[in-house]
Amino acid sequence: MKPPFPIEIDGKVIQVTEGQTVLEVCQANGIDIPVMCHFEGLPDVGACRLCLVELKGVPKLLPACTLRVAPNQVINTQTEKIKKYRKMIVEALFCERDHVCAICVANGNCELQDLAKKVGVDHMRFPDILQPLELDASHPYFVIDHNRCIMCTRCVRVCAEVEGAHNFDIKNRSYKVRIISDFNQPWGESKTCTSCGKCVAVCPVGALWSKSSYQGKIEKKKEAICDLIRKRKVNV
Amino acid sequence: MSREDLKQMAQRIQDDKKKYAYTIFACNASGCIPSGSEAVFEALKNCVKDRKLEDQVRVVSCGCMGICAQGPIVRVDPDQSIYQKVTVENAHRIIDEHIIGKTPVKDMLLFSHEKEPLINSFEETFFKKQKRVVLRNCGRIDPQSIDDYIAEGGYQALEKVLKRMGPEEVIAEVKHSRLRGRGGAGYPTGLKWEVVYKYVSDKKFVVCNADEGDPGAFMDRSVIEGDPHRVLEGMIIAAYAVGAQKGYVYIRGEYATAIKPLETAIKQAKKNGFLGETIMGTTFKFDIEIRIGAGAFVCGEQTALIASIEGRRGTPRPRPPYPAEKGLWGYPTLINNVETFANISAIIVHGGEWFCETGTTKSTGTKVFSLAGKVKNTGLIEVPMGISLREIVYDIGGGILDDREFKAAQTGGPSGGCISKEYLDRPVDYESLVELGSIMGSGGLIVMDDTSDMVDVARFFMEFCMDESCGKCVPCRVGTKQMFDLLNKIYIGRGTMADLKVLEELAIFVKEASLCGLGMSAPNPLLSSLRFFKEDFLQHIQRNEKVVKPLI
Repeated sequence: MKPPFPIEIDGKVIQVTEGQTVLEVCQANGIDIPVMCHFEGLPDVGACRLCLVELKGVPKLLPACTLRVAPNQVINTQTEKIKKYRKMIVEALFCERDHVCAICVANGNCELQDLAKKVGVDHMRFPDILQPLELDASHPYFVIDHNRCIMCTRCVRVCAEVEGAHNFDIKNRSYKVRIISDFNQPWGESKTCTSCGKCVAVCPVGALWSKSSYQGKIEKKKEAICDLIRKRKVNV
Repeated sequence: MSREDLKQMAQRIQDDKKKYAYTIFACNASGCIPSGSEAVFEALKNCVKDRKLEDQVRVVSCGCMGICAQGPIVRVDPDQSIYQKVTVENAHRIIDEHIIGKTPVKDMLLFSHEKEPLINSFEETFFKKQKRVVLRNCGRIDPQSIDDYIAEGGYQALEKVLKRMGPEEVIAEVKHSRLRGRGGAGYPTGLKWEVVYKYVSDKKFVVCNADEGDPGAFMDRSVIEGDPHRVLEGMIIAAYAVGAQKGYVYIRGEYATAIKPLETAIKQAKKNGFLGETIMGTTFKFDIEIRIGAGAFVCGEQTALIASIEGRRGTPRPRPPYPAEKGLWGYPTLINNVETFANISAIIVHGGEWFCETGTTKSTGTKVFSLAGKVKNTGLIEVPMGISLREIVYDIGGGILDDREFKAAQTGGPSGGCISKEYLDRPVDYESLVELGSIMGSGGLIVMDDTSDMVDVARFFMEFCMDESCGKCVPCRVGTKQMFDLLNKIYIGRGTMADLKVLEELAIFVKEASLCGLGMSAPNPLLSSLRFFKEDFLQHIQRNEKVVKPLI
């Protein structure tokens, strides 16, 4: 094991070891950083930008989930600027697609909803990007509703990296990006989907749900997936 | 192959060419092709055949000569007479009157170096303030012929490097030249090479970024179309310096006219021993492959480009780790722009000191710009760094079309900004442009006159960024769409002052919170327009507020 070295986060000196990410260190030390695309055990992509932190000496903001610790780092995670941007990111996510909590399966069990509460979003200042999207209910057990998707790509990663099926991928660019099944086929016709339901379990919002759930009653077994990944890593 | 061999080869090729009394260069670059240059080239060739002059006259299809506005361009050497707007109908006059009759065709002439009486303002202006380093051979050799390149001193820099310099010396020379990346950001090239060189790895890669995507930019394609071997030579030298065995040229799929000469050049270089297992008789081996992009602007971003070469979706990833440490398939990778590589052979041959003589202290050398928009002489130009914008627009560009008023110059494409006329005398170099809220960029330069509406310009570039955003990170994906919608609202006359405030707030947010360079620079055209041309925005808004009066 490599020797620990100290870094400074929000004025606190913390002992860390090489290879850790700043997010891991923060989570282990009770420093609250909001996350959205990050999911424990899945490869990080740094896409949602919610975990942005300030690293002294670097002009741009860096995502904590992909930033590796290094000696002499001085990191700030809660500056006014960062808080403002976190709020704007959540606002941006809300206005991007149709996020109406009252009719959503994930109401009360939704990471986006929790985030809005946490960063203090109570209304939207930006105009809606109204883009009515399709809902794919062709799969026998699950439904994907693109209107609620926030493009965190957790489902894509869990399907490719944990299940190994790689059923999901992404099509298009800009605000037109969509999650697709196989070669943009209806999910029900997918040859690769194993119907394992891992994607449903990791989805932070109500974009993926099983047909047995109804409004506000979705069950997400996130801890089970985390546990599975952890145990597999130990075996490897 | 030794230095003497190469020089002898060059001499032999030059002697071979001497049997031709005349060489006719017909521009067949992307600027002239749309005006019918391919047919002109055929017509010239057929005409020479008809007149049975094949032994005396060589007709060459060449790269861009720069004066794209007047195309198709044909040059007759050794007289250096340049003919403009040549058509299939009048092409024969060049052969009949100039070559057979020995008198230049005056009414078609752009200018001639034979002093009397044909010098016009063109020579005094368009070429006088230019300095051609990267474009030295462009329009002067046959890009499909390695012999032409060797005759012009090609591959001598490579020979010097392989036989008489160590990798560290090469890097020192490039560092000494203070050459900065020509792709836009201006990172010191020598430093980048050194970083890649210092990483210990059994595999390293060199990548040439030819994914030129800025609207109105055609520098890189012109360099590849006109002088592909210069780019290859730069890449091979870079590979030797950093210790790479494999190189890729990542080029846009749209550049069919550049891909073909590049493919030919790679084949020829392999055949002549400049690429492959034992380069020029040494143990150094290096190979280059072409990767064709599928039309995504974001793939010009280093990490997205790497993903695309690897065969994945072209989306950027957070840096660090930088490609110099973990690039293609996790190996140290050097990525430079086409123009950066094209500068290398000149630096090696003439030395870094010589290179520093041109330009300013911090920005050395020359820069190729594609001059477009409302100027009289649109085209491809290469100017020393530090030249003023006024000289580019009025001296080289010949002034604004229809002698209207200059309003703004847009540099750096969708990542850059608009510069207003108060700053026309500022030098064009990396620092000054950043100070003005723009960037050097890859070299697109669009001139706008007083009829241009800056809200519309900002809207156009925002639409471009919105369409080209990869959709991975939230600020860029949603922010560009929001900004475009707001700009559109203002443009059609429905905007309010509150919209303008939100717009500014969004612009700063997207600039600071986005993942890659595309998002970070997407608000630049908007921010610089707001800085210099706020009246344009206010006019649109006032138009609305006149209609919608407050109730109380």
